[in-house]
Amino acid sequence: MSLAHETLASLRRRLSSKEIHSRDIVKDLLTEIGTREKTVHAFTHIDEKAALAAAEKADSSLPLGGIPIALKDNLNALGDPCTCSSKILEGYKAPYDATAVARLRQAGAIFLGRTNMDEFAMGSSTENSALGITRNPWDSTRIPGGSSGGSAAAVAGRLAIAALGSDTGGSIRQPAALCGCVGLKPTYGRISRYGLVAFASSLDQIGPLTRTVEDSAILLSALAGHDPRDNTTDLRKPETFLSKPTGSVQGLRVGLPKEYFLPGMSPEAEAAVRGAAHWFEKNGATLVEVSLPHTPAAIAVYYILATAEASANLARFDGVRYGRRAVEPKDLLDLYHRSRSEGFGPEVKRRIILGTFVLSQGYADAYYRKAQKVRGLLRQDFESAFTKCDLLLTPTSPEPAFPLGERTQDPLKMYLADVFTISTNLAGNGAISLPCGFTKSNLPIGLQLIGPHFGEEKILQAAHAYEQSHDFWKRMPPV
Amino acid sequence: MSSPAKWEAVIGLEVHVQLHTQTKMFCGCINQYGGAANSQVCPVCLGMPGSLPVPNEEAIRKTILTGLMLGCRIAPVARFDRKNYFYPDMPKNYQISQFEDPLCAGGAVGLDPFLFPKDLQESDEAKAKRSIRLTRIHLEEDVAKSFHYEERSGIDFNRAGTPLMEIVSEADLRTPGEAFAFLGSLRQVLLSGGVSSADMEKGQMRCDVNVSVRPVGQKEFGTKVELKNLNSISGVRRALEYEIGRQIGAVEKGEAIQHETRRWDDDAGATFTMRTKEKAHDYRYFPEPDLLPVRTDQGLRKAAESGLPELPAALQARLMQENGVTAYQASVLAADRVLCGYYEKAAAGTKHKAAVANWILNDFLATQPDPATSPVRPEFFGELAGLVVEGVINSAQAKKVFAELMANPASPKAIVEKLGLAQISDVGALAAFCDEAIAANPRSVEDYRSGKSNAINALKGFVMKKSQGKANPTQVDEILKAKLSA
Amino acid sequence: MSAPKLNVADVAGLARLSLTPDETTKFTAQLSQILAHMETLGQIATGDVPEVVPPAQPVLRPDMPTPSLSVEAALANAPAQSNDLILVPKIVE
Repeated sequence: MSLAHETLASLRRRLSSKEIHSRDIVKDLLTEIGTREKTVHAFTHIDEKAALAAAEKADSSLPLGGIPIALKDNLNALGDPCTCSSKILEGYKAPYDATAVARLRQAGAIFLGRTNMDEFAMGSSTENSALGITRNPWDSTRIPGGSSGGSAAAVAGRLAIAALGSDTGGSIRQPAALCGCVGLKPTYGRISRYGLVAFASSLDQIGPLTRTVEDSAILLSALAGHDPRDNTTDLRKPETFLSKPTGSVQGLRVGLPKEYFLPGMSPEAEAAVRGAAHWFEKNGATLVEVSLPHTPAAIAVYYILATAEASANLARFDGVRYGRRAVEPKDLLDLYHRSRSEGFGPEVKRRIILGTFVLSQGYADAYYRKAQKVRGLLRQDFESAFTKCDLLLTPTSPEPAFPLGERTQDPLKMYLADVFTISTNLAGNGAISLPCGFTKSNLPIGLQLIGPHFGEEKILQAAHAYEQSHDFWKRMPPV
Repeated sequence: MSSPAKWEAVIGLEVHVQLHTQTKMFCGCINQYGGAANSQVCPVCLGMPGSLPVPNEEAIRKTILTGLMLGCRIAPVARFDRKNYFYPDMPKNYQISQFEDPLCAGGAVGLDPFLFPKDLQESDEAKAKRSIRLTRIHLEEDVAKSFHYEERSGIDFNRAGTPLMEIVSEADLRTPGEAFAFLGSLRQVLLSGGVSSADMEKGQMRCDVNVSVRPVGQKEFGTKVELKNLNSISGVRRALEYEIGRQIGAVEKGEAIQHETRRWDDDAGATFTMRTKEKAHDYRYFPEPDLLPVRTDQGLRKAAESGLPELPAALQARLMQENGVTAYQASVLAADRVLCGYYEKAAAGTKHKAAVANWILNDFLATQPDPATSPVRPEFFGELAGLVVEGVINSAQAKKVFAELMANPASPKAIVEKLGLAQISDVGALAAFCDEAIAANPRSVEDYRSGKSNAINALKGFVMKKSQGKANPTQVDEILKAKLSA
Repeated sequence: MSAPKLNVADVAGLARLSLTPDETTKFTAQLSQILAHMETLGQIATGDVPEVVPPAQPVLRPDMPTPSLSVEAALANAPAQSNDLILVPKIVE
C-alpha cells in the first residue's frame, strides 16, 4: 500500500524504527499527486525538489522527523511564496517563518505543498481563489468547503498526510466535514498566529487537518503554547494531547444546543449527527439539552466584526513594500487604487467595503460596537452552557458539500453555510469536526464537538473514542 | 464693524515626543537615529503579511512616568486602537495608537517664569505662573521617514514603529510666550524623568498648534487654524505671533477665518495655507485586536512610581531654600539634570553653596562644558569658592585660578600655590606698603584729608601695584583709613 | 434602525478601491441585502455586556533588541527601490 494512505501516527512509528525513510513517503505522495492533483487541484505550489532534499536530511529521532506536512497558502515559511490565493501577493517570498511553521520544523517535519484556499481565507467553498478552484475528492462536481479547502481535499484525497489550515469562522472544520477528514480549531490563544496572514485577528486560529483524531492531537502538541511574538497566546505550559487515550465517554455530559438543529437543514446530516449523539448516550454519556439563545445573531455579528478587522488587516496590501504593484501609476493615489483593485478578487473587495462601512463615522455605533456587545452575549451563552455539560455536540455544517458554482452569486446564502461554526470563533472556544456518516450519494457528514476554553484534551478524548468505534475515517474517496 | 478694544488668542498644543528606549514600540528592532537606510527593520515594523505587534514594556512605563510627573490620572486598564489611513510612511496603513482608553488623562504643565522668552521674563504673563491643563497623554508608533525627489519619494522605515508619546493640552494657552514657556517647562519635566531628550530641533519633540482669536470677554472660540512645520520652541513663538496677527488683521477687516492647516515658513516668517479641511478625516478607530488590554495596576504603575525623579518645581524650591541660589539659577539647574547633579556634588562639601552656584552657572557654563565627562571635579568649585570667601585670594586672583583650573584641572589650593597667588593678609607687611603709599602720594593724602574720600583709591592702587595684586583689599582699606585719620 | 443608503463608491474610496460601474451596481445590491440581515442586531438588548477579552493573559515585551532583517532581505520584496529606499510616486501633502 502507498505510504500516502497511512496516518501520521503510523508513519511516525515506522520512521522512528527506520522501517521506512522520509523520502519514501514524499515519493509516494508525489505519485498520488501526479495522478490526481490535476482533478482535485488542492495545491497552489509544490516544490518537489525542496521536499525531497528536506526528506534526505530528515532526522527521524525527532517527534515529527521526516513527516511531510502541507501548509495552507496563508502561512509564511521563509523563502517560500505565500499567495493567500490572491493576485496581490504575486511574487511575494516570505522573509520569515510563522511560529507554527518554525515549531513544525523544529519537531523535524518537512513541507510538501502549499494548499489552495479562498482568497485571504474569505469564503466557504474555495471558489474565491485567484489560482483556480479545488474539487471535492468525494465528488468532483462539488466544492471541498472553505476556506481551507485545499488542505481538506489534499488530506482526504491522500495527497497529503496532514495539513495546516486556519479557521476564522469555520474554515478548518467546514471543509474537514465536507471532505470527510478531521479538522481542529483550537481555543483562541492556544496556537500562535504570528506569521499567519491575518483575516480577522480576534477570530483567526491555526489548526491541523488530518485523517484521524490522534494525528490532530500529535500536531496540536507540537504547535500549542505561548509565543512571545503573539500577545494573544496563552501562557499555560505545553501539553501532550491524547497521550493516554481513554477510549471512553462514560460519565461525559454532552450538550445538544437546540438552536443547532434547524428545520431547514439536510435531513441526512441531521440524522447522522443525532445518530452520533445516540452513540454517546449508549456508551455512558448523558445527553443534556442546552440553549445558546443568541445563535441566530451570530452570522450578523461575525460578518460585521470579521470584515471590520479585515478592512484594516488588508490595508497593508498596497503595492508599496511587496506584492503586486500597478504598472506606471500616475500618482500615489493611482498606485493604491489600481494595485488594490487589480490585485483583490470580488469577495475580498466586497468584504473590505462592508468592513470599512461598519466602522465608518455615523455607523460604527449601530454596527461595529453593537456587534461587539452581542458577541459578549454569545460568549455568555457558551459559558452558561458549559456549566451544564462538558462538551457540546452539533452538526458542523447544515448540509453536505454543495455543487460548484451554486452560491457564487449569492454571498448571503454562502455566509449562512457557516451558521454552526462561527459562534465558537466569536466565543473563542475550541472545536473539532470529524466524520460521522455519509449521505446516500456518498458525501461525508461532519460532527462537531465544542469544548470550553482550553478544553482540547476533553474534545480530543471524546472524538477519539467515537472515531475508533466507527470506520468512517478509513473510507477512501473515489476521485 | 467696530473693532473691539482687544483680541485674545486661544491656543492648544499637540506635542509628539520620541521616547528614550532601546527598541521600537512593537518589535525588537533598535530605536536609534542615524542607521543606514532600512537596516533597522523587521517583518513587524515593515508591516509584512502575518506579523504581529507586541508592546514594549519600557515605553509604557515611561509614558506612565510622564503621566505621574504631570499629575495625570493613570488608566488602570489601557487599550490600543487602530487608526486607519493610507500613507506610504505608515507600513500597515493603520497606526497603532490609543483612542478611547489612553494611558494618561488630565494633568497639567506649570509655566516656569524663567522658561518664558528672555524679553518676557519680567512680564505679567510670566509672573502669573499659570498652570496649563492637559487633556491626555497616549502612546503610539512613529511613521517612516520619506525623502522627496523630482518625481518620486523614497522611504526609509528605520523610524517606523518607534515609540511616540502624544501629549495634548487643553486650549488654555493665550499668548505665544505662554506656548513657548509650556514647551520649555514640559521639556524640563521630560528631561528630569529621562523619558526623552525632547529636542525639537532634532525632531525628538514635535509640536502641532491649534490657534484661534476672539474678542476679549467672548466665551465661544473662533475658527481654529492648525499650524505645522514648527521645528523649534522659538519657532513656535514666532509662528504664533505671526498667525495671531494675521487672524486679528483678517477679522478686523471683516474676513472670515478659514478652518485650515497652515505651514510655518521660518525663513519667510509667515504661515501659508497647506490644506483646507473640507472633510474631516474618518480614521475608523477600533480596538487593536492583536493586543490585549494593558493592566497598569499590576506592577506597571509601581515600576513607574519607583522611577519618579524630584520634579522641577520641587527641586527649584529646595535649591533656593537650602542652598540660597537665585530663582533664575534654580530654574537653570532644574532644566539640566546633569548640570544640577554636578552642582549638587560641588555644593555638598562646602558652606558656600550660593557662591558655588555662581561659579558653575556663570564661569563654568560659559566654557560650554559637558558636566558628565568634565575632568574638572565638582569639589574643586567648592574649594575655589571657599578660598575667596575666606580671603585667601581676591576675586581677580580667583579668575586666574579658574582659568588655570579649566586649562590644567587640579585642586584650586594647589593652583594658588603654584601660581604664587596667595593674598597678603599679614598686617605688618600691609602696613609697610601703606606707609610707602602715603609717603609717595602727598597730594592724594591731602585731598583725602580735605574731604575728597575718593582720593583713597589712588593710595590703594599704589599698594596693589607694589604687592603685585596680592594685598588683601579689605585689610588695605582698613589700614589706610586708620593711618590717614591718625 | 432601517438599512442605510450605502454609497458603495464612497466607501470603496476610503478603502482605496476603484470599482467598475458593474461592480458598483452588483455590490450595492448584495451589500444592501447583507446589511438588512445585520439590522436584526438592533433588536437585541445589550445593556451591561462585559467586554470580550481573549482568554489569554497579556505579556509585554522587555526592552531588549532582537536582530533586524538584513537590508537586502528587507527590500527583497519591494517592487521599486533605489539607494536602499523603497520608491513610490512622489508624496505630495
